[in-house]
Amino acid sequence: MPPAIEFHSVTKQYRGRSSGEGVTALADVSFEVAAGEVCGFLGPNGAGKTTCINTLMGFLFADSGEVAVLGYPPGDVRAKSRIGFVPENFAFHPFLTASKLLRFHSVLAGLDAEIAASRIPELIAKAQLCGHEDLHIGKYSRGMVQRLGIAQALLGDPQLLVLDEPTSGLDPAGRRDVRENLLALKSLGKTVFLSSHNLTELEQFADRVIIIDHGRLLCEGPLAEMLDRGGRVAILVDSLPAEMDLFLSDRGAAIERGAQNVRVLVDPALKREAVERLWAAGCDVVSMYPVRSSLEDLFLTLVSDAEKAR
Amino acid sequence: MRIRAIAFLTFSGFLRNKLMILFLALFAVVVLLMMTPLMIFRAQAGAQAIHTESMVLGLIGSIMSLLSGFGSLLAAWAAADAVWSDIRSGTILAVLARPVRRWEFLLGKFLGSQLLMAAYVLMMLALSYLLAAIGGEHIHPAPWLLIVYPLVRYALYSGLAMLLATVMHPVVSFAIMLVIMVLELVVSPGSRAPYLPTWFKAGLYSVLPSPELLSEIRFLTITEASLKHTAPLHHLTALAYGLDWTLVFFLLAAWLFGRRSLLRG
Repeated sequence: MPPAIEFHSVTKQYRGRSSGEGVTALADVSFEVAAGEVCGFLGPNGAGKTTCINTLMGFLFADSGEVAVLGYPPGDVRAKSRIGFVPENFAFHPFLTASKLLRFHSVLAGLDAEIAASRIPELIAKAQLCGHEDLHIGKYSRGMVQRLGIAQALLGDPQLLVLDEPTSGLDPAGRRDVRENLLALKSLGKTVFLSSHNLTELEQFADRVIIIDHGRLLCEGPLAEMLDRGGRVAILVDSLPAEMDLFLSDRGAAIERGAQNVRVLVDPALKREAVERLWAAGCDVVSMYPVRSSLEDLFLTLVSDAEKAR
Repeated sequence: MRIRAIAFLTFSGFLRNKLMILFLALFAVVVLLMMTPLMIFRAQAGAQAIHTESMVLGLIGSIMSLLSGFGSLLAAWAAADAVWSDIRSGTILAVLARPVRRWEFLLGKFLGSQLLMAAYVLMMLALSYLLAAIGGEHIHPAPWLLIVYPLVRYALYSGLAMLLATVMHPVVSFAIMLVIMVLELVVSPGSRAPYLPTWFKAGLYSVLPSPELLSEIRFLTITEASLKHTAPLHHLTALAYGLDWTLVFFLLAAWLFGRRSLLRG
């Protein structure tokens, strides 16, 4: 089975109309998302995430490199018939109602009228828009529009879901519903490519993570591996003399001072040396345990390292 | 089915466009004001029949020309705005994420604007019959002439405006359309523009599409030209000429639209 999404050395520049100067949105970006994976696509604001998504949907053209979606070039109707898409800041024709909008999209998706007739009320219920389905979308709250956006993406039973910030504008309950929906889709073997700033949520269901910044790929791979790679060891001590503070800080350790004791986070390779030095300095080592780094820690470290490298 | 769905949605959007409603309302007021003297002339018809009749005919001719000219502007604006408003609002992304080809989307938008123009032409036709009835005249040519000719002419303007709007802002495209329409009038054989050199007029006349050929006004009983018999082959040639231009403009627009970004700016 071909990968659901393939990006090979993709470069995209935006050129100013008057100056003609280019801003690099994507620089030699390469990654793949396998079929059936839930892939989190991360990056700070302006990192190039939306440019990437617009390129893979065929809304923008890359200056160089190759992109394939479900084995077809971006914008190919054979691929698009199997994709559900939620753009960032989803916009609808405000004079339509939810039912009419879903009917319109069912026609565009080429759904059989009978299937559409049964699927639309189901999706309206799922989007918690029952009782509001005949109200003009222009009168909807942002959360309602977002839920409707996700509902329309699910209309054609897509094989690949491309979601750009799907939970923005949603309250905690709405975010939980989206999360549950995504978990359900994952269990059905659907591929999900999801751009989000909500790293804690992403950590709960993403199989793979891609992180970009300033148009460059910072890292990509299976989430579990990445989190293990960034894992540390916590050493809990009753106190920490000043010389040890300096010694540990020089070796990249993080020191968290609490009311009762001090927690020292060190690289696993340094744990033995650190413990021995702490004992020798007269500190009482209360406990030692591995700490798996969070996606947020990993993301912030990578972005900060990239910033320093520039 | 997809093209039809896009066309009907575009048409619905036009009917709810506040700017469109405002302009149509203003235009209706102007037409009604112009009809007032027509009714006065009609009331005085007994006294000075011949004199009044010529004034009535002149007034009806002016109203119909105004309506026809406004229709051309409306066709250009509607087609230019149809695609651009979707790009500006971002609604185009959800539509083109579906298995819809870009040319299908453009064709849907074009047909949507033509639905609007069809509604406009029907209103224009009804008004022309009404004016003729008020003025005590009869419209002799078959109604299809008064429907098909303006429709083809508006399709031509829509095609050109759509072509321009695929590469530039709709306001700029609309301004260019205005210039083109004025130039067409200036360089047409019947125009009185002695300040322009003949070679310039002839050159532009051969390059620009001729709205004169596609004007339905010449078939109305109120103009002299309409008295001339028109052979079916002439209709066929004139309409094919308009559709040919429209097709060329649309194909060029589709080609350019297939190569542009769908994002704002």
